[in-house]
Amino acid sequence: MPTYNLYMGCSVPANYPNYEAAMLRVAKAFDMELEYMEDVACCGSPNLRAFDYFGWLVVNARTIAIGEKNGNDIVTPCNGCFGSLKDVLYHLKHDDEMRKEVNDELKEEGLELKGTIKVRHFVEALYTDIGIDAIRAKVTNPLDGAEIAIHYGCHLLRPEDVTEFNPEVLKELIRVTGAKVTEYPLWKQCCGATVLPVNEPLAIRLARDKLNSIKTAGAEFITVVCPACGNQLDLQQLGMKESYGEEYDLPVLLYPQILGLAMGMSEDEVGLNMNRVPAQGILEHLVE
Amino acid sequence: MAETDEKASPPVTLVDPIDMSKLDPSFRDDVKSMPNGEELTACFACSTCTAACPIANQWDFKPHQLIRMILLGMREEVLSSREIWECLTCFECQERCPQNVRVTDIFFDCKNLAAEEGYEVPENVLVLGKELVDKGQLYVVTADWEREDLDLEPEVPGLSVEEVEKILKKTRTGRLVGGE
Amino acid sequence: MTSPVLVIGAGVAGMTAAIELADSGVKVVLVDRLRTIGGNALDLYKAFPTDDCFYCFEGNRTRPGIRKCFYRSAMTDQPNIDLYTDTTVEEISGEAGEFHAKLAVGPRYVDPKKCILCGKCMEHSQAFEMLSPQCQPQAVVYNPSKAEDGDKKAEEECPTEAINLNAEASEETVKVSDIIIATGYHEMKPVNVEEYGYGTHPNIVTQLELAKMLDPNGESAGTLLRPSDGEPVKRMMMVQCVGSRDERYYPYCSKICCVFALKHAVIATKERENIKVSVVYMDIRTYDRHEQYYREAREDGVEFVRGRVTRIEPRNDGSLDVIVYDSLLDKYLKSNIDLFVLSSALEPPEGASDLMSQLGLKSASGFVAPVDLVAENEVVVGKRIYACGTALGPAEVPESVNQARAVVSKILQSRK
Repeated sequence: MPTYNLYMGCSVPANYPNYEAAMLRVAKAFDMELEYMEDVACCGSPNLRAFDYFGWLVVNARTIAIGEKNGNDIVTPCNGCFGSLKDVLYHLKHDDEMRKEVNDELKEEGLELKGTIKVRHFVEALYTDIGIDAIRAKVTNPLDGAEIAIHYGCHLLRPEDVTEFNPEVLKELIRVTGAKVTEYPLWKQCCGATVLPVNEPLAIRLARDKLNSIKTAGAEFITVVCPACGNQLDLQQLGMKESYGEEYDLPVLLYPQILGLAMGMSEDEVGLNMNRVPAQGILEHLVE
Repeated sequence: MAETDEKASPPVTLVDPIDMSKLDPSFRDDVKSMPNGEELTACFACSTCTAACPIANQWDFKPHQLIRMILLGMREEVLSSREIWECLTCFECQERCPQNVRVTDIFFDCKNLAAEEGYEVPENVLVLGKELVDKGQLYVVTADWEREDLDLEPEVPGLSVEEVEKILKKTRTGRLVGGE
Repeated sequence: MTSPVLVIGAGVAGMTAAIELADSGVKVVLVDRLRTIGGNALDLYKAFPTDDCFYCFEGNRTRPGIRKCFYRSAMTDQPNIDLYTDTTVEEISGEAGEFHAKLAVGPRYVDPKKCILCGKCMEHSQAFEMLSPQCQPQAVVYNPSKAEDGDKKAEEECPTEAINLNAEASEETVKVSDIIIATGYHEMKPVNVEEYGYGTHPNIVTQLELAKMLDPNGESAGTLLRPSDGEPVKRMMMVQCVGSRDERYYPYCSKICCVFALKHAVIATKERENIKVSVVYMDIRTYDRHEQYYREAREDGVEFVRGRVTRIEPRNDGSLDVIVYDSLLDKYLKSNIDLFVLSSALEPPEGASDLMSQLGLKSASGFVAPVDLVAENEVVVGKRIYACGTALGPAEVPESVNQARAVVSKILQSRK
């Protein structure tokens, strides 16, 4: 029974408790022990890196160092947290001098980053440690081939030498639920979340591009594995309808919601009513 | 059209070149010495980064031009540009660079330099910094009933706000936005 | 006995062909119009791809006990080679297998076989000079245009009696079976390319001229000085494709200028003190593995500007203000520089067209053209007439060597 340090960050618990609940239930079904990390800090997101590189290093090195105490890998459901932690680990592994400087800051708390554990995204841990066959064995209510477009999110995919994430992982995880993966041209493109604070119209244009590309490709649903991407693609649909009268009608589900439903969980258990664009339509695609 | 007795306007300078001697060659070295900046000088301006960038079309300075400006020493123009702050950090440019220039990382470096050297940091970015220093997190739970409905702890689990506040007050964040 | 082979031109290609034929037992008449062999390569100081002295590639040093400049010394020492310097081919008659070449041999004032480079004559008169420390034959030459009173004394006191001031030009006809044209190239003097101001200001030079300035054996011992006043060069700008890829001059790409320029840019940046180099280009054509030169040059701090020169404005202090349009930035850049270097086109050498018409050869942009391009025999240019090196068009040193070897192979096969 693998045990993990679960790093939630602040966005999932605050904005996507349904993601958190679905992930915990799915993990439990596979005997993945996700233990909430205690006393850890917010990752600060790429925004912190932008104006305070050193502060960003220290805050995230601290989180990793806390994880290293019990030696379990850190797992997170958020691309922002994943990107920050993974990036910091990469930077500090490649820069001895900086690692020393950062560790000097951590000394006060009796912490030291050594680089002994990995930082992983929840979906990658699920895929690698549990495996597609074990997952398939628990799919009791497969989807009927519903068309689902994957939005990976930038910080899960890039830079590839930092994230080490293979896009096939999420495709297989979708297919094992019985759904079809909808290929679309803009699959790699950013949702626009990061530019929201400095240029909102630009952020909306990016979301629109993405939604158009997905809609045109014939998808019925979108899956995301990041709260920020979720906001951009789900919540913004409501705003775009209100402000521009544009309607995409593309429910956005967090991946563990889809898997949970296919494993026979109820819509309440995966918090389906919290999705902004009504997502109940997916229930009709479940084969009893 | 009738002749007017207006005076002729002053002669227009048709070619108004950038005076290279007024630029700052140390800018290039500064960026090169920053995290992941070492490949900066490998750039051969193929403009792959601009081709890869989803929003370059909206920019006055395209990514490859920003890199060129760094190489030429146009510190002022780069560090005061809106472009570096609008970078999506989606890493598409960096991923596709045929010379391994870590373009996105370099724009991160530029933002740090801009913040350090007193260039304007967009207000909403500073707001996020203030949130971090004051509240220790970017998002605060506002609808704890939602969490309770899902059998989750009402607060963000395991989040320590004091420690991050303490760290960031000492680093540049604290200097930029001050403590409470 | 079979007749010798005539090799016209003792540059990289001609020397390679000559020595490899001679080593295989074939007699060679090697002719060069200059008083030292080596051709353009003699001025190169360092040659890519090895950055070695131009002719000494590792692969060539296969014989034990051979000193570095074996090739050039072999030209004078190999008994199968008859070397004619200061000699031009006046006329060729006859036919394949039995050509008659009339050679005009310049006056042999100093017998290179007797000269021991003691330097006595040079003390007496400036007319005696050593063309280059690497000149070959290793001998003093006499320049009658600088004749002075001391000449006679030099002649009298020459310890080996190598000097004969009464020497006269002569004519000789040789019978040869095959002809190898290795006449090389000439670097275009870009006087007509008005926008670059060549010839209007001493601090505007060509790459070949820069090569000589960078040569540690040169006048300033390799220190880069402004020709106008001898002040050190602090900023240098190069411009690529001067006369090449230009329908008004030469339509072809001169092929070697990019690597040539990068080589010089890197030498100036890394091996000389505090010289800032910019290269203005349309495309950098560092084909094949030469791309590495380009990357290294960038990493060494050479500045590259994609664009063209708008105008040059000389200043009173001897420097030049150059305005360049940077097409990637869509801005004009103004730089103050000490030396402006033009990467000028490689053009066919003087007399190439005469030679080609005498032999009835085809021309391609003024260079010697192969008989049949598709037959993969680019070195075969006529019946028992071959060409190699830059006589065929712009080529780098290793390519010239390869072509020379292809010619040797053809000739040896035909004699089996």
